[in-house]
Amino acid sequence: MTRLDAPFGSRIDRSRPISFSFEGQRFTGYEGDTIASALAASGQWMLSRSFKYHRPRGAFSMAGAEANTLVQVGSEPNLAADLTPLAEGMVVSAQNVNGSLARDRDAVMDRLGRFMPVGFYYRTFMGPTRKAWLKWWEPLIRAKAGLGVVDLAARPDGFDKSHLHCDILVVGAGPAGLAAAIEAAEAGADVILCDESPDLGGRLTYAPEAEVDLTALVARAEALPALRIMTGTVCNGWFEDNWLPLIRGKALHRCRAREVILATGGIEQPAVFRGNDLPGILTGGAVRRLIRHYGVRPGTRSVILAGTPDGLGAAEDLLDAGTRIAALVLPRDLPGHAERIGRLRSAGAEILTGRIEAARGGTHVEAVQVGGRWIDCDLVAVSVGHAPSWQLPCQAGARLGYDDATCRFSLDLARDGLHLAGSVAGHAGTAAVTADGRRAAVAALHALDIDAEDVSPCQDVELAFAHCALPLIPHPKGRDFVDFDEDLQVKDIVSAVREGYRELELVKRFSTVGMGPSQGRHSALATARIVAAATGRSVAETGVTTARPPVGPETLGALAGHGHVEERRTALHARHLEAGAEMRPVGAWWRPYLYGRGDRVARITEEVRAVREGAGLLDVSTLGKLEVRGPDAGAFLDRLYTMAHANQPVGKVRYCLMLNEMAAVIDDGVAFRMADDVFYVTATTGAVARVYADMALWNAQWRMRVDVANLTAAFSGVNVTGPKARDVLQALSSEIDFSPAGFPYLEGRIGVVAGIPVRAMRIGFTGELSYELHCPSSHAPALWDAVMAAGAPLGLRPYGLEASRILRLEKSHILIGQDTDALTSPDELGFGWAVSKTKAFFVGKRALEMRRRLGESRRLVGLTFEPGTEAPGESCLVLRGGEPVGHVTSVAHSPTLGRVIALAYTHVEDAAPGTEVTIRARSGKLVTGRVAGHAFVDPENRRQEI
Amino acid sequence: MQATQTCPFSPGGAAEDVAPLLGQRDDLSVSDRSHWPRFGLKGSGSADWLADAGVALPAANRLSLSSGFTILRLGPNDITLLGDPAAPEALAALCARWEAAPGPKGYSSWREEAWAWLHLDGRALEDALARLCAVDLRPGRFVPEAIAQTRFAQVDAVVIRRGGAAEVFFDIAASAAVLRTIRHGGGHP
Repeated sequence: MTRLDAPFGSRIDRSRPISFSFEGQRFTGYEGDTIASALAASGQWMLSRSFKYHRPRGAFSMAGAEANTLVQVGSEPNLAADLTPLAEGMVVSAQNVNGSLARDRDAVMDRLGRFMPVGFYYRTFMGPTRKAWLKWWEPLIRAKAGLGVVDLAARPDGFDKSHLHCDILVVGAGPAGLAAAIEAAEAGADVILCDESPDLGGRLTYAPEAEVDLTALVARAEALPALRIMTGTVCNGWFEDNWLPLIRGKALHRCRAREVILATGGIEQPAVFRGNDLPGILTGGAVRRLIRHYGVRPGTRSVILAGTPDGLGAAEDLLDAGTRIAALVLPRDLPGHAERIGRLRSAGAEILTGRIEAARGGTHVEAVQVGGRWIDCDLVAVSVGHAPSWQLPCQAGARLGYDDATCRFSLDLARDGLHLAGSVAGHAGTAAVTADGRRAAVAALHALDIDAEDVSPCQDVELAFAHCALPLIPHPKGRDFVDFDEDLQVKDIVSAVREGYRELELVKRFSTVGMGPSQGRHSALATARIVAAATGRSVAETGVTTARPPVGPETLGALAGHGHVEERRTALHARHLEAGAEMRPVGAWWRPYLYGRGDRVARITEEVRAVREGAGLLDVSTLGKLEVRGPDAGAFLDRLYTMAHANQPVGKVRYCLMLNEMAAVIDDGVAFRMADDVFYVTATTGAVARVYADMALWNAQWRMRVDVANLTAAFSGVNVTGPKARDVLQALSSEIDFSPAGFPYLEGRIGVVAGIPVRAMRIGFTGELSYELHCPSSHAPALWDAVMAAGAPLGLRPYGLEASRILRLEKSHILIGQDTDALTSPDELGFGWAVSKTKAFFVGKRALEMRRRLGESRRLVGLTFEPGTEAPGESCLVLRGGEPVGHVTSVAHSPTLGRVIALAYTHVEDAAPGTEVTIRARSGKLVTGRVAGHAFVDPENRRQEI
Repeated sequence: MQATQTCPFSPGGAAEDVAPLLGQRDDLSVSDRSHWPRFGLKGSGSADWLADAGVALPAANRLSLSSGFTILRLGPNDITLLGDPAAPEALAALCARWEAAPGPKGYSSWREEAWAWLHLDGRALEDALARLCAVDLRPGRFVPEAIAQTRFAQVDAVVIRRGGAAEVFFDIAASAAVLRTIRHGGGHP
């Protein structure tokens, strides 16, 4: 164990040991540890194998910035071991290994690097034979792809979603964010402060400064009632109107803030040298986190690369932790820090000028090369400066600039309601960062019309040496990694440019740099510098690649939340269940598929026969129901539908066919003119939302004197159909005359049936005598009961959706969306009769005329099949001369005809009744169908008009 | 309600199996008001007729209280009046007057049939609202006369607040789904 005594280890509770396993071996940590810190304390540094070369990898930033630390915990893959809190009994395993982490058979890939140059996969998998891809490469890649293992049986329990609102959201609780949040909340604003760390203070928690009392600052923040503190929370994106997802554990909080202050700090950058990816090489910040947060002594003999004063702080902490400093490597002078360097020299550190050229080791760093000399060590701390956390600002439209002279990035963000604060805004020293946080808070407060005094800027003396850019010289032997996630070396980026990919976005796509889980946090700066050098441009001209949400990985479970399913029920739902219906979802609706148990085919056949021979009752409540009312209602429908409605007499029902501007059929239904200024219009179940929206849009454009109400749920409907339908209704007490003369086909009536107000329409989807009774939904159960009771002596029975589908198919009635597609024209359906030839305008008229000039290529026809023929399935192709010319849209066995019938698109020249067409059945067998007339049953339409 | 009428959470209603999720829980009570009286008008002439009938209309997307009912003005000519079963007379009289009136008088929006109406209250209300609705419904932020025409529990809805409680109006066909989402997505087991 390499644990240090208190005060080191601010996050751990030594009184609460936690037992867990990693790669099958038992380990012990403390409450407050992360997986990585607990393993490091036990000397286990290697956490994973790299993506391509299977090189050993360990924690580098201790801030979740690289893919090195991704591990599998139980059934959950890809958790960052350096961020994931340790829990009792955790079963942790390494990812991307073939065998075990220690004995990874794929480690041999590290020796095959020369065969896998950048972009090799774009060329390699093309051969050597035409079938090589499917035979060799695809199975190989499938076996090697991915990191963790998905547990397909895992239940998405515990995910949660909610919304948050605030005046000011402060992202990042470092010195700038903390100061901003306190300033804003004390001024009276409603503030949320979020940070991914479990504690407040950011870098002050591991790099304390004598002049800042963090404990007092945190206490001050926690005492503010207007300040909601959300630690352990990742702000994973910025979207328009200051909408930001905050992810805390399994909960997604969708935050809407009037003002946002981004105090996201910086990302400590790696140094690029051969072997820079070995476990035991960490950023200076990571070293300090291990010591101060977790009480872990990260090594016994260290080398520090101090490009910035942060490196000196890491060295001082290491000395305090009892680690010997073998060498302090200074790439440049650090004026003003001579005294600190002198103390380190006195403590035994050799002070070297230059840079680290290479590191070596097996599964852990063993030595580094400086000035050609190898220095033994088991820990390397690199401090070469930070890049601003540009992801959130850039998602909000910030432009990233770079000053090649000072090696400083800058972010230019000009957007109302959004402020940068602290080091992400280009400040370095704690005093300057804090002052900038307060300044941002005041700016946000002013935007909210809350009084606040301006804050004077603070001189930032530490800025001058806060950034450092070491030379990026490719090592002759490579393995100088720019991107740890994707195993990309300096030469890979140079090669990508040589291939002709001069722009950074192209380099990214060719090399995959920045495309791993860390999304360029460690690679973007170095890549930009390499590309700039290779193309003779400045880094500012080269830029960085586009930043898009999410900032970090997020689970699909968090996005899905509670997982509730949309569900709609008709008012007759309980009646169907009571009648033994098998309910099935149709879109969001539950509908009775059939009634009763037992042989389904027999049940459906009985239901069809009941309608053809007696009477059946169908719940048609899911039909869209629109009331179009106003002085211009008829004229409005004339423009929307293909038939004429302005001249439709009151009391008449007329078929409606709706086209889009391409003359494609998008809906059909009927319109019942209830009064001069009121039409009751039905639409198909699936299309009514769209039809209603279209009507609202057209109405807004045409500005006619019309109101449209969507009464789909307000009204329910039942279809009483069959030769005995009239007898059923006449058995009810009613003021409506249901006699043939009193209520002819395609007419409608308003009245009371069994004491219930109804809108009745004589239409015929089944081809039988049919009355659709619509009523306010609260009355629907009573209407159903009354009709069922009246029909019982006549053999009335409810029938379900499948019987309805067969009944309409026997009449060749189409279902929009099933028998039509996105291009179907009325002519292809043989619906020329439903298109007015005299109206000057309707939506789709012009396109229909143009399509008619082009001529038809297909036609929807009915097909019959000889008994014993293999029935084709829906979507089976219709062939002509071996070439596909159409497909089957609906098919069923007709109980009435005793054979299989279908609707299908055929070549227009094959549409004549009696023509034989060829269809490829599901088995691949070619079957013959014979084109029928316009209906299979009762083509003269006598039954529905009796 | 008439004897022949059935609401979704009533016995024999479409959501009767989910109705046990209603009830007076300590932390979040959800009560069904779908059977409460209400009267909606929509379309040209609606506002003028109501104004002529002496109803003082609030601005669009605002609510106001009148003697005997609450007025929701969802749009310039889209108005719903919420009644109270304890004192239904004023609204019933206004409905009867409208039925008898000649046009122009707007058209019925059938809110009493199209909408389910749930009343939510309890100490967990604010947390539940934050889970179920993207609009900031917190007291102090959501002024008493405000109307949210938004999404609630994954369906289109109208949300108002009266007396600290929240009331939600939504597609009556989605009653079962919404109640389940309120109970299971509103921070409750």
